[in-house]
Amino acid sequence: MYGWMGKLLEVDLTNKKSKVRTLNDETALSFLGGRGIGVYLIFCMVDPQVNPLSSENILIFAAGPLTGTITPSSSRCAAVSKSPLTGTIFDSNAGGQLGPEIKASGYDAIIISGSSSKPAVIIIDCGEVKVKGADAYWGMKTSETIKAIKQDFGNEFEVACIGPAGENQVYFACIRAGDGNFFGRGGLGAVMGSKNLKAIAIRGNSKVEVANAELLSKLSGKAIDRIKINPITGKVLPKLGTPFLTKIIDNIEALPTRNFCEKSWTEAGIYSGEVIEEYVTDREACPMCPIACKAKIEVDGVKMHRPEYESLWALGVNCQVKELKQVFSASKLCDELGLDTISTGSTIACLIELSQRGVINEKISWGDGEAITNLIEKIAKREDLGKIMALGAERLAKAFKANELAMTVKKLELPAYDPRELYGMALAYATSNRGGCHLRSYIVAMEVLGVPILIDRKTPIGKAELVAVNQNFLAAVDSLIICKFATLELDDEIISHIITATIGKPFDRGKLLKIGERIWNLERLFNLRAGLKFSDDTLPARLLMGGKVPLREMLKRYYEFRGWDPNGVPLENKLKELELLDVVKREAS
Amino acid sequence: MWLNVKLREEAYKLFRLYGRRLTEKGYAAGHGGNMSIRAGSKIYITRHGCTLEDIKPEDVIEVSLHEVTSFDAISSTETVVHREVYLQTQNLAVMHAHSPYAIAISFFTEKMKPIDAEASHILREVPIVEGRAGSEQLAKKVAAALKEHHAVIVRGHGTFTAAQTLEQAYRLICMVERSAQQIYLTEILKRLGFEFIKPKEI
Repeated sequence: MYGWMGKLLEVDLTNKKSKVRTLNDETALSFLGGRGIGVYLIFCMVDPQVNPLSSENILIFAAGPLTGTITPSSSRCAAVSKSPLTGTIFDSNAGGQLGPEIKASGYDAIIISGSSSKPAVIIIDCGEVKVKGADAYWGMKTSETIKAIKQDFGNEFEVACIGPAGENQVYFACIRAGDGNFFGRGGLGAVMGSKNLKAIAIRGNSKVEVANAELLSKLSGKAIDRIKINPITGKVLPKLGTPFLTKIIDNIEALPTRNFCEKSWTEAGIYSGEVIEEYVTDREACPMCPIACKAKIEVDGVKMHRPEYESLWALGVNCQVKELKQVFSASKLCDELGLDTISTGSTIACLIELSQRGVINEKISWGDGEAITNLIEKIAKREDLGKIMALGAERLAKAFKANELAMTVKKLELPAYDPRELYGMALAYATSNRGGCHLRSYIVAMEVLGVPILIDRKTPIGKAELVAVNQNFLAAVDSLIICKFATLELDDEIISHIITATIGKPFDRGKLLKIGERIWNLERLFNLRAGLKFSDDTLPARLLMGGKVPLREMLKRYYEFRGWDPNGVPLENKLKELELLDVVKREAS
Repeated sequence: MWLNVKLREEAYKLFRLYGRRLTEKGYAAGHGGNMSIRAGSKIYITRHGCTLEDIKPEDVIEVSLHEVTSFDAISSTETVVHREVYLQTQNLAVMHAHSPYAIAISFFTEKMKPIDAEASHILREVPIVEGRAGSEQLAKKVAAALKEHHAVIVRGHGTFTAAQTLEQAYRLICMVERSAQQIYLTEILKRLGFEFIKPKEI
């Protein structure tokens, strides 16, 4: 088997045993790896109605067939589970060395089931598995945990861990993967916490065999050349990182602020890539990535990772904090406590609006950086208001009977693109299988960046089809796994050639998109069985006010294009076409 | 701020006018081709992925003359070339078209020597260079060529012209394409057996 290792490791935390399953050709070719394999396994192994924070839920870390090869921007890993925040199937994706180490350990994925009675850490050393006590690490912040585990077991181990927020099962706790990478969204850190799993540490020495190394080398070289010439992947991202988006999105008045009360903020410029560039000391890159979009910054003598655009927006722009350094600190604090910065910032923005409207007694103003820092601590510890905030913006707003103040879709807090100005993004948020997320279709690439072509951002025409096709493409990309930034240059054609060279079997763009569509439909089926309805495919009322965003119209066309019935349920013919009938029936039996 | 708005408006008018003209003449199709003007330490340039046939106000992007900025992410892929031309020359406008005859000629020669009176007087010769679209290497080659010449053809890609105004840059694009067309026609006639009579004075 070229590309894949052919093995899945299952670790049962309840009885501290592990076993190895075989990944057969058919499953590998149908779902690739990463998100796809994770979704398939969750579909087969988890009751959709399960409490995400119970021992019956499972957590999967999965690499893809390209992970660990020389393919540029392929050092990534997917974490997949049922989310406590959204109640949906949920995959989160992180860069760094974790994915390659899973492959180097001889596995394509690690399935973590059950739960430990005491804090535990899973150690996987060249394929050999041990579950050890983690009392010594419990309570530690994320960077401390990684440092301590490396000290105890060896510096070569790659460590993924949770912080105090994950231990306390905050619904939007993240998982830190190595130095500066995070499985950010969806609260998969809380799933780890519910299993009493503080960390997994992994190292290996196996190599990924590829079918045609010479061809893969040639194609990868070509891909690197293209990435380096592309203005975004070759110039802007390496220099300014994702904060380059601040100016561009603000310029078209699609930068939400004050909990989406407004779409532009005169002070937003302090969060631009150019301003943040002044704090940069070192450039950073994931292994095998020619883009190198990450950087270290130094603020008053303290070194930290440059926050991403979304983090700066959520903790800064959306809460109207005018002091950049406070936002740097808040972002670092989230990283250390193990909190998703987007959900944290958006939940805080929701709370500030509740306060400003007099719904709650506590007085918190827009822009109060100190209060925001305190709230972050309280969320992670689940103290005072933090108890209800730890459940996310939607549950927070509902608790105070102000549902309309939650800027969420399927309980996931929306990111930094205002759908009132980007109709494709509006549909993408509404139909996302993991809730309000920009990365499922990344239609903003077409609506704003003009990649591969610029389209009218404020028309519904063609958006249903484009959003669906992009969702399919990126579901496949998340399963290979390639960084989405690389796809700003690399299209489905060169990616298909790279897959062919890696796995040694004919592959084309049609297959790639079909696999993506298969994954998308399986996610949808899981969610429907988990209780989601077509009425959940919507946007917060605030964003639909005035009837300007033609969501209903786009949604109808989207369901039709997808081959779903008017209630958003995949039709049998579609499942047959995607060769999913057997999977669905097998699972049902 | 007022001046910036005015400059942007002016750039929009010019880009819209010449974008349409280039398209009507068949020198740009789809989202091919781009143009810019320099204003102080800024460049106003067409947006990546826009269609020159129907430029909109949002398709005018302001970037820095000296460095990569956020808006380079949405400006033309050839921004790097335009920037280098402005840095290396005193020109104030740059235009790039995918004019078909110039591209065809570029596959057969190292430089194009116009044969008609006007073009041979103004253009003298048009160098042909190679390089990947949007690369630093191409930027340097095009800028170097435009130090000495009004126009340059990138083999298999298209024509770049530089001038003091966008109108001039546009006329140069037309002139290069006309010259390429004349060379093509002349070569056809030669191959059909017609005798080529070189003008004694041109």
